[in-house]
Amino acid sequence: MNASSDEPSAQAINILLVEDDAPTSWRLQDALTKAGYQVRSAGTLTEARAALAESAPKVLLTDLQLPDGHGVDLIRETRARLPETEIMVISILGDEESVISAITVGATGYLLKDAFPTDIAATVRDLVAGHSPISASIARFIVRRTQNSVEPPPGPALNTTKLTPREIDILWGIAKGFSYAEIAGHLGLSRQTVPGHIKSIYRKLEVHTRGEAVFEAVQQGLIRL
Amino acid sequence: MNEASASADRHGRRRWQASRIIQYLLLQALIAALCVAALQLSLPQPPEKYRLSAFGMTEGGTERAVALPQFTAPRYAIENSPRFTAQFVRPGDEAGRAWSVFLPRFTNGVEVAVNGVIVLDSRRDPAANRPDRNTPQIADIPAPLLRDGVNDLSIRLFVWGPIPGFLDRVWVGPDEVLRPYYDMRTTLFVTLPVVFSAWQAILAVILGIMWVMRRHEPAYGVLAAAMATGFVQAFLQTPMGETPFSRFTAILISSAPLESALVLTFTLLLSGLRWQRWWLVFFVPGILLALGGLIEGQAAARALFPYLAVPMVGLSLAIMAFVSARSAVRQRNVASFLLGCAVTIMLTCWIVDLLSVFQIVPNRIFTARLSYSAMLVAIGAGLTWRFARALNQVDGFAGRLVAQVREAEEKLKASFAREEERARAAALARERARLMRDLHDGLGGQLVSIVALSERGNGSAPIGEAARAALKDLRLVIDSMDDIGGDLMLALGSWRERAMAQLRSHSIALDWQIASAQGLPVHPELRPWHVIQIVRILDEALTNAVKHAEARRITVRIETIAGADGVDRGCISVTDDGKGFELAADGGGAIGSKAARGLRNMQNRAARCGAELGLSSGASGTRVGLKLPHRFPDSDAATI
Repeated sequence: MNASSDEPSAQAINILLVEDDAPTSWRLQDALTKAGYQVRSAGTLTEARAALAESAPKVLLTDLQLPDGHGVDLIRETRARLPETEIMVISILGDEESVISAITVGATGYLLKDAFPTDIAATVRDLVAGHSPISASIARFIVRRTQNSVEPPPGPALNTTKLTPREIDILWGIAKGFSYAEIAGHLGLSRQTVPGHIKSIYRKLEVHTRGEAVFEAVQQGLIRL
Repeated sequence: MNEASASADRHGRRRWQASRIIQYLLLQALIAALCVAALQLSLPQPPEKYRLSAFGMTEGGTERAVALPQFTAPRYAIENSPRFTAQFVRPGDEAGRAWSVFLPRFTNGVEVAVNGVIVLDSRRDPAANRPDRNTPQIADIPAPLLRDGVNDLSIRLFVWGPIPGFLDRVWVGPDEVLRPYYDMRTTLFVTLPVVFSAWQAILAVILGIMWVMRRHEPAYGVLAAAMATGFVQAFLQTPMGETPFSRFTAILISSAPLESALVLTFTLLLSGLRWQRWWLVFFVPGILLALGGLIEGQAAARALFPYLAVPMVGLSLAIMAFVSARSAVRQRNVASFLLGCAVTIMLTCWIVDLLSVFQIVPNRIFTARLSYSAMLVAIGAGLTWRFARALNQVDGFAGRLVAQVREAEEKLKASFAREEERARAAALARERARLMRDLHDGLGGQLVSIVALSERGNGSAPIGEAARAALKDLRLVIDSMDDIGGDLMLALGSWRERAMAQLRSHSIALDWQIASAQGLPVHPELRPWHVIQIVRILDEALTNAVKHAEARRITVRIETIAGADGVDRGCISVTDDGKGFELAADGGGAIGSKAARGLRNMQNRAARCGAELGLSSGASGTRVGLKLPHRFPDSDAATI
């Protein structure tokens, strides 16, 4: 779990951190810099956009509540303009309201603001390696949306119709606290394929275009034509 | 292919129906044959030695020898009535016994004279005057009239239509020998019709009441009218002279076509047809006959009767037979089937009667009327039975309805409860979302800032730790408010993540074991406050292991254990490989007061959830076992 050592590629990875709360920003910056990442930071949406225009980061970490706007807009723009960039949302509580809204615009995971420095570095390293983390509570939120109910539960809109039964099974496993290895064992998968499935789940939950958003809203009965 | 199979199907159905028709017709033919056979059986007759058969018949001034039974012309003037004369011998040894003349059957009236003295005039007996009845007569011969040896018997036959006159064989003999035969015929042809008529009257009243109460079932009303007509007919006497009411009486007596029209209408209604206005045609012969009798007098009614009433009765019977057969074959209507059989009997009787009227069979016992009365009584009884059965069905239906209503009520109650439950869950979810937003924007952000600041300052690590603990607790509270549908595994999933993050920072390994396939049993009654208690117990156990036990590895084991009573109960245990502590006899420990308080807290929390907390500690580590209740308590009953 030692992220800073023998990680030559870490030098090449640059991260854009968008966080308006200064102590939190320093904290995250410290943790990432110590792990060998190259970190630029922005405190507002405007600064973040300027930084993105300057050069494309490998990873974008952003808070949602920013003084001059909402992080969701930034994620959506980045996802559209820089498809190579991995995006993670920084959340205080890891609650589904903020995380799911970020996922639907293209984020693939979240980072808790009070996470331990080693965990911060490890999460980013996994993300860059193609492993999108997903928490039990987020998995729980998604699978409960896949269960048909008369009225959708409150919270952000989410279209789960594209998920395959296997992906839903994986989400159930995560929600119940099983490890990837246990899930792979239960479902007869190879342990290495589970992160790929999770990435695929994230991509399927993403709403790509305005038209698609409308289409999906109609599909879910949120909009009646 | 489809069409072919449909055609085959239709063909098969037609063949099947044809076979049913043949079966039905065969059965009716059998009934008719049995009926004819029964009619061929003659009634018992008195001894042959008392029978007189050689008569001299004086008709229109000329006399000729005849043998009884004898038919005559349909009508004579009173003064030209034919006279039959014969002689009989009374042996001398019979002088002590009373003798009688027995006339089993005649049309229309007789005047009997013995040795020139009139002993009987049947016209004085109203019942005997009805040509449609088979009324017998017996005349006592006063003892002084009889001579030993040869006596003279003279019978005048009065014939006033509408059918030819008839005189059956005559017996003269001892009264005690002849009277039983007379009584039997009286019972059969006089008393029995009266009994039937009385039944008809009663049924007419019952059916009439039914119809009044149930106007939408005209069948009852029609049958009641038919029965009332039959009853009136049976009890009226043939008017012998012209009186103010004689015409009216004559009309009523000759109301047979009206009656048959009513019965026909009833049959049509019974077979499921709906009243059509053109059915009024059935009543035309009856009305014509009534009008004729009213305007032209009883003689006209009598004259018209054979031309209007008899064919009408026959036609009605034929239509009834057809309609009943169709209804019985097509709709398998049991009532129509039975009616069809009865109609066959009546039709057979009617044909036999007609044959006797036309003198084709040498007998004149009319049975159509009798069979009709019997049938009407049977129908009335059948309808009453049907009515009672309908009442039973109504009772059963009402009972079923009550049961269904109760069932529906229960379902509604359950659905209300479900709806309430869902509304409660939705309200909880909304409240949670609101709380989360508030905490996220306020308290959460501030706590994160404290954590961040404490890490920068020196010596403020305890502050950061406290802030982190507060954040963790905040997440726990929010997380347990989520609707997890009674599946505690979902709450433990989140807890595992938090525990791992906590243990990682202390380089302690977490061994997570789920021993049963499904983990823990699902508890629909599980509420957020139960979840909080359980997760806090686990947190406490974990914290103790981290802070006091210096453990390197912590094992969390989750399993479902089948109890001795067949009830599955969930078990969660947290085991560390730390140094352990000494448990005191009072359940507290020989450890710090803070840890002791922690243990007491755990016991309290477990008790409030109805769970059992087991604690064991030794040199090789500590084990905290939590045995979940079969059913979580509804209210927080435990005292603190």
